[in-house]
Amino acid sequence: MSEEQVIAPNNDQELVSRTQGGDPGAFDELVVRYSPRLYGLVYHMTSNHEDTNDLLQDVFAKAYRSICNFQGKSSFYTWIHSIAVNMTINFLKKRNRRQHPSLNDPDSRIESDPDFIAATSNADATKEVSMHELQKKLNAAMLKLSHEHRVVVTMFDIQGMHHAEIAKILKISEGTVRSRLFYAHRQLQNSLHEFKKA
Amino acid sequence: MNNTMNTDKEPMHHIIRLKRYERPPEGYFDDFLREFHYRQRAELLKPSLSVMILERLTSLMSEIRVPAMAYAGAAVVAVGVGSAIINHQPESPAPRSYAVSYKQPPVTIDKMQPVSLRVETPDAASRNFPPAFLLQARPATHESPLSF
Repeated sequence: MSEEQVIAPNNDQELVSRTQGGDPGAFDELVVRYSPRLYGLVYHMTSNHEDTNDLLQDVFAKAYRSICNFQGKSSFYTWIHSIAVNMTINFLKKRNRRQHPSLNDPDSRIESDPDFIAATSNADATKEVSMHELQKKLNAAMLKLSHEHRVVVTMFDIQGMHHAEIAKILKISEGTVRSRLFYAHRQLQNSLHEFKKA
Repeated sequence: MNNTMNTDKEPMHHIIRLKRYERPPEGYFDDFLREFHYRQRAELLKPSLSVMILERLTSLMSEIRVPAMAYAGAAVVAVGVGSAIINHQPESPAPRSYAVSYKQPPVTIDKMQPVSLRVETPDAASRNFPPAFLLQARPATHESPLSF
C-alpha cells in the first residue's frame, strides 16, 4: 500500500460510526487503512523501526479507547494524525538524545528514481555514494532538525500532504507551516550540501 | 498537488522525498493488526493501575530491610530519652496557669480583711468534735483579684 494512497474520508465516518456502535471489525478496517500512512509519519520522525511499531500500536490503542468521544468536528484523518503526531513528539522529548536509528531497507525502486540518480551523480565526485550511505545521511540530517521542523518536513516533503492539512493537524496557521518548512529546508541544505542539485 | 509544485524548485524537497522508499519489512502490515489484537487482549488481562500501585508499595516495603542493630539502637535511645524525662521532672511542680473559660463574672474583692485565727469554743452541737482552727470566711490572700 502506497504512503500517498488517497483515503476516502466519507467512508471513514461510516467506519467510525460503526465502531462507536460497538462493531470492533469496523475499527480493524480503520487500522488497516491508516497503519501504512501513520507508520511513515512516525518512522520518519523517529528513524527507528521498533520505536515506530510500539508507538503506532499505542496510537491505535489510544484512538480505540477514545473513539466514543470523537464527535466528528474534524475528519477522522485529521484526528488520528493529531494523535500520532502528539504521541510521537512526546516520545521524542522523553527519548531526548538517546537515539539509535534502526532503519528499514529502502525499496529497490529507489535506484531508478530520477531524484536518486540526480542526487548521487551530483554528490562529491571523488567518492561513490551508495544508496545506504545516502539513506544514513538523510536520516542524520532529519534527526538534526527540531521535532517541530521534522514533523512538517515529514508531512510535506515525504508524505506529500498539503499545507492546509498540516496546519489543521498541528493546529497552527498555514503561514507557520510555510515558515517552518523554509527554515527546515535551509538547515537540511547545510547538512546535505554535497547532494545539492547543480 | 499545488503546494508540492511550488516547492519543486527546492532541491531539498527532491532529496528528502527519497526517504519514502524506506519501507518496513515485507508482511509487516499483515502482522500489525494481529499484534494490535494481541496487545488489546493483553491489556484486558493487566491489573488496574490502583492494584499495580498497591503491589508496588507492598513489594517496596518488603524490600526495606532494617538492620538488626538498628532495633537495639532504637531501644537504647528510647530508654535514654524516657529516663531523662523522668529525672528531669521537678519535685514540686511550678504553679501553672490554665486558660479557663468561665461564664460567671470575675470575683472581685473590694477590701482586704485581716486573717484572724480563733479557737472555737465547743458548743452543744459540736461537742463531740475536737477543736479546730478555722479561717474566717474571707480570702487569705494578697493576690490581685482573679480575672479570667
